[in-house]
Amino acid sequence: MDGNEVTISLRHLCKSFTKNRGFVQALDDFNLDVNQGEFVCLLGPSGCGKTTVLRIVAGLESASGGEVIVGGKKVASAGPDRGMVFQEFALFPWRTVRKNIEFGLEVKGVPEGERSRISSKLIELVGLKGFEDAHPKELSGGMKQRVGIARALANEPAVLLMDEPFGSLDAQTRNLMQKELLRIWSATGKTILFVTHSVDEAVFLADRIVVMTARPGKVREAMVVGLPRPRDRTSREFIEVRGKVLTELDEEFEKARAKELSPD
Amino acid sequence: MDSIAKTLSKAIITNWLRIILGVMSLETFLILWSLYSGWLHGDWIFSNRPLSTSAEFLPYPWDVLSAFAQSFTVRDPVSNLYMTSHMYASLKRIFFGFVLAFCLAVPLGLLMGRSKNADAVGKPILELFRPIPPLAWAPLFLIALKFFWGPIAIVFLGVFFPILLNVILGAKSVDPMLIDAARALGARRRDVFAKVVLPSTLPYIMTGVTVGLGVGWMCIVAAEMLGAVGGGVGYYIYNMVYQAGMYDKVYAGMAVIGLLSVLTTGVAALFERRLTRWMGMK
Repeated sequence: MDGNEVTISLRHLCKSFTKNRGFVQALDDFNLDVNQGEFVCLLGPSGCGKTTVLRIVAGLESASGGEVIVGGKKVASAGPDRGMVFQEFALFPWRTVRKNIEFGLEVKGVPEGERSRISSKLIELVGLKGFEDAHPKELSGGMKQRVGIARALANEPAVLLMDEPFGSLDAQTRNLMQKELLRIWSATGKTILFVTHSVDEAVFLADRIVVMTARPGKVREAMVVGLPRPRDRTSREFIEVRGKVLTELDEEFEKARAKELSPD
Repeated sequence: MDSIAKTLSKAIITNWLRIILGVMSLETFLILWSLYSGWLHGDWIFSNRPLSTSAEFLPYPWDVLSAFAQSFTVRDPVSNLYMTSHMYASLKRIFFGFVLAFCLAVPLGLLMGRSKNADAVGKPILELFRPIPPLAWAPLFLIALKFFWGPIAIVFLGVFFPILLNVILGAKSVDPMLIDAARALGARRRDVFAKVVLPSTLPYIMTGVTVGLGVGWMCIVAAEMLGAVGGGVGYYIYNMVYQAGMYDKVYAGMAVIGLLSVLTTGVAALFERRLTRWMGMK
């Protein structure tokens, strides 16, 4: 496979629903191609539908129009070829770290020996050695999300979908987890679609940043970050890129705010 | 070191205080009981008072205690059974009623909690029968179902609703995020049910069981008082009042019921705690 093969292809994605008797157009003609092994961040004002995009790709929600193609196959429902990492971790509280990671394998019917071989490898990869038998409540937020990532990786998905995975972590842990994610990414070579509302996070992580418009969400601009890794947040180039993205985003924030103040 | 010793001794002192207060509370209750009993009987300092007609209704605590002990070694004068036989009869009814209610309420609750259509079908029936106290059925059940199934059916009703309502609540409050997570990991409907819904609901099931058992004991005593074959603690209490007029034995029977109820709900509560801790949920 060459590096430019498209892994995720979103074509004319639309999503509308009724909420509190009002009609909401969440997405309108959203188009995006993500290449094999690429790290793409979806950035946008809150309520712009970036999480909706992710959930549609995951198959947890269906689009009102358009199509999602992942690895050459049209997405119809949730499936193990797309790993999902949630902001609230969504770990099974009654399962240990190891059992959480093995969930997908269990469901797939992978024999026990094979399961524990895979989970051991992943526990090592995400740096949770020694915590195999801990329950989620015994873990810190950062460690919980390590489990979340390992659990999603266990199915060997083609893509990793991450919905503000570090949004509920404190600043220090968040920075550490971003570095960890980049390490895991380069070790596994996964294609990552990552939703965030932090410009800083997007510039630190992404190959490409997709800025979304205010509702109804579509692609406003896709920017290639182009900074070498590891990136230095204090470097002039980093601040420059961040400034550019911020300007784009600010305009959308303003639009979203204006819309909020004068509802149609 | 010194401060550790200090906090430790302080902890002991505060705990001892609580223990002493608890013991004193019980002691005061027993003394007041004895005094009132003495007053009714015209004993001790009340010796110039004549024996009250209601004196027999309130025996001394120690008489109750000896009646309690005796009920296990001497057959009762009405049904000619040891207390253990009465306990066995009541426990058997509780057991059958409970098992039936559990086996029906858990699947039904899961179904109603997870399926809106099942809820729409079940809810009107549930709301129709729920407000009727289980004991309102007692005379009818006893005459229609006879003395074996009648009391069991009454216990069944008492246990059924607490379990059902708790299971519905539990099944409804499964974190939707966990279901999403499971689906994204490739879980099919039955995987979601077995590996997410069921474990999430387990603590609620156990709460239902604990509450249900308490109600079950209330029901069985009353049901047995309406008539029972082969003994039963409620039957024993009733007979000791209306057949024998042995009021110390009445209180002994009440104590037995209390102990049995505390024992069974205690075991259920212990199991519930163990289960939730083992599952890492609390």
